[in-house]
Amino acid sequence: MSAPEVYSIAQTPVTCHAFNADRTQVAVSLNDRHLHIFERQGHEWKNIETLSEHDKVITSIDWAPKTNQIVTASQDRNAYVWAQTPDPHTGATVWKPTLVLLRINRAATFVRWSPNEDKFAVASGARAIAICSFDPENNWWVARQLKKPIRSTVLSIDWHPNNVLLAAGSADMKARVFSAYIKDVDKKPAPSVWGEKLPFNTICGEYSSPAGGWVHAVGFSPSGDVLAFVSHDSSISIVYPSGPTVYTIRLNSLPYVTLTWTAEDSLVAAGHDCQPIVYAGSEAGWQAIGTLDDTSAAGGAKAGGARSGPVGRLNSAAFNTFRNADTRGQTSSSSTGEGDTELLTVHQNTITSVRPYEVGADGRVARVSTSGADGKLVVWDAGAVSALTGKMSGMRI
Amino acid sequence: MSFRKIDIDAYDEDVIQETELVEPDPRDPTQVLADAKQKQADVRSALARNDVTGALSIALDQAPYGPNVDEAKNLTLQTVVSILNSTRSADIPAVLKDLSVENQDTLMKYLYKGMAMPGWGDVSGSVLLIWHEKLTEVAGTGCIVRVMTDRRTV
Amino acid sequence: MSNVLRQYLSAVRSTLTAALTLEDFSSQVVERHNKPEIEVQGSKEVLLNPLIVSRNENERVLIEPSVNSLRMSIRIKQADEIERILCHKFTRFMMQRAESFVVLRRKPVPGYDISFLITNVHSETMLKHKIVDFIIQFMEDVDREISEMKLSLNARARIVAESYLLAFNA
Repeated sequence: MSAPEVYSIAQTPVTCHAFNADRTQVAVSLNDRHLHIFERQGHEWKNIETLSEHDKVITSIDWAPKTNQIVTASQDRNAYVWAQTPDPHTGATVWKPTLVLLRINRAATFVRWSPNEDKFAVASGARAIAICSFDPENNWWVARQLKKPIRSTVLSIDWHPNNVLLAAGSADMKARVFSAYIKDVDKKPAPSVWGEKLPFNTICGEYSSPAGGWVHAVGFSPSGDVLAFVSHDSSISIVYPSGPTVYTIRLNSLPYVTLTWTAEDSLVAAGHDCQPIVYAGSEAGWQAIGTLDDTSAAGGAKAGGARSGPVGRLNSAAFNTFRNADTRGQTSSSSTGEGDTELLTVHQNTITSVRPYEVGADGRVARVSTSGADGKLVVWDAGAVSALTGKMSGMRI
Repeated sequence: MSFRKIDIDAYDEDVIQETELVEPDPRDPTQVLADAKQKQADVRSALARNDVTGALSIALDQAPYGPNVDEAKNLTLQTVVSILNSTRSADIPAVLKDLSVENQDTLMKYLYKGMAMPGWGDVSGSVLLIWHEKLTEVAGTGCIVRVMTDRRTV
Repeated sequence: MSNVLRQYLSAVRSTLTAALTLEDFSSQVVERHNKPEIEVQGSKEVLLNPLIVSRNENERVLIEPSVNSLRMSIRIKQADEIERILCHKFTRFMMQRAESFVVLRRKPVPGYDISFLITNVHSETMLKHKIVDFIIQFMEDVDREISEMKLSLNARARIVAESYLLAFNA
């Protein structure tokens, strides 16, 4: 059980991050229009390249491990595919952008390479998802759109391991599973739990969030037979399509905005609560088993006592303030530090994305990485789960 | 009418209407009202037995929501407020712990509804604040987030 | 501090914490724009139910959340005419300098005395829990400020009246 590696890479929020295949470099968006590439040098990350092609905030990045290409999506309605090519003049390797013909007229919000890296999907505010494949004749990426029945901004997408199915979560409070089958690229997929015949834009499943929250993140399990999604009504749902059985866990804490599966029976979710929480379960049921952010070890004895839950923590600080005011006549303005809530988590602000970092020998994700609005990049040991003592006692499935 | 004031976005055929955001209540408005009256009677008998948790569960179960059921909504609010007012503050945490998660969410909705209309009926701000504090301790901020997101307003 | 005030503030604190779950959200209505959805009210699905926390008829807080912004309006206690005038002057003074307060809105929402507009930019550049702390601190201070001003106003009025009437005493 090792402590998380914490890197403060920026003063600004880290909107999203993507590591390269051997985890020596990371591409991040620092809430601006540039694509920053950091390289690991010892125990630090150094900015080695700043690529500018977008003219609005980059919302999402994905780095294809095998083909070593980066795809970026931005609020300027564009996406670019970056590939390393030798510069014709100097001979040095540079990142060269290729424009993608997205044909969307609102912001691109989320992008992911397909598992075979021959396609990628771009979610957008134009109530559509663009499925892009390479057109070698014209040397650009062309898109086909999934439109119906999306009614609002698509917030996140995830590819099924078979390279055909795509899950999407959107602000119209639904998580959906589509077929993104493209004739020239894909082989006919084997029948799965999601269906047998899968022409483009088949809807294989549509699931509402339990209390009307926007679906912030979706994810297929490693086998692709289970779908998990987190929504803004502070809940996480796990869908077994064959039933269909849907397990919904209503949280005590603030909503999650991102999730990643670590194995067929466990996943990590994180968000406004500022700490990654591990869930485990099977077709028989799911529950939260703990947090990766063990503050009692990091913060010492002081942290241990005050930690009684995300809200409890805030409240207990508030409670102390009021108790001081009541019993000792200290008002919060006159005494220093009183009335100041302290977060004991590693991340001090919303976690914007969580992604697998290292896959262990047994096929389980051994470490996950998170980036936060506080400018931190953290690598967690996915096995180092500490119990949520008392925090989630009121939670039932 | 000035053409500048026309809200052209409303004519976009893709736009989501308020009514599409929420599944309508399958029950008929008269049926809902009859249910609410029935519940009021049930709650009285449960309170007479001193069963506060039971009374709250009855009142919060299948709470009326959506349009055209204002009378039933008011009736249910009255019922809930009467339970809240009659409970001693020392008993509150125990009562809340025994409620199901769904009913905790619904209770939070009623607390906010009550606070939105101070002085209505026998709604008392201080009683609602005590309940709000205890309920937040038990159900967390997640419960409040769900009150915000859930379009099935009571 | 009275118990009810403590509960009132803690209810506001937890509601505000729950509402401060904002994210960057580009407009679905206008191309290449990014604006606070709670102010433009362009798409219904990204607005959430407004919540009111009230202590009594005269003191309440309205919190209107949306996907990338939230508007919070405070109705400050005004027991009599003097407090009404003081409160008006005080909030007007602040709102004329709204830029310096970053999250303050230039105009209050109808029915309230002062409004804050918090967007995702604020929640990204500042720590969320510190914003909540600031608002709660503000709510505590504004009551105290107004009652202090009322006291000093009364004291001043008494001195003025005394020295005026002294002229007739001689």
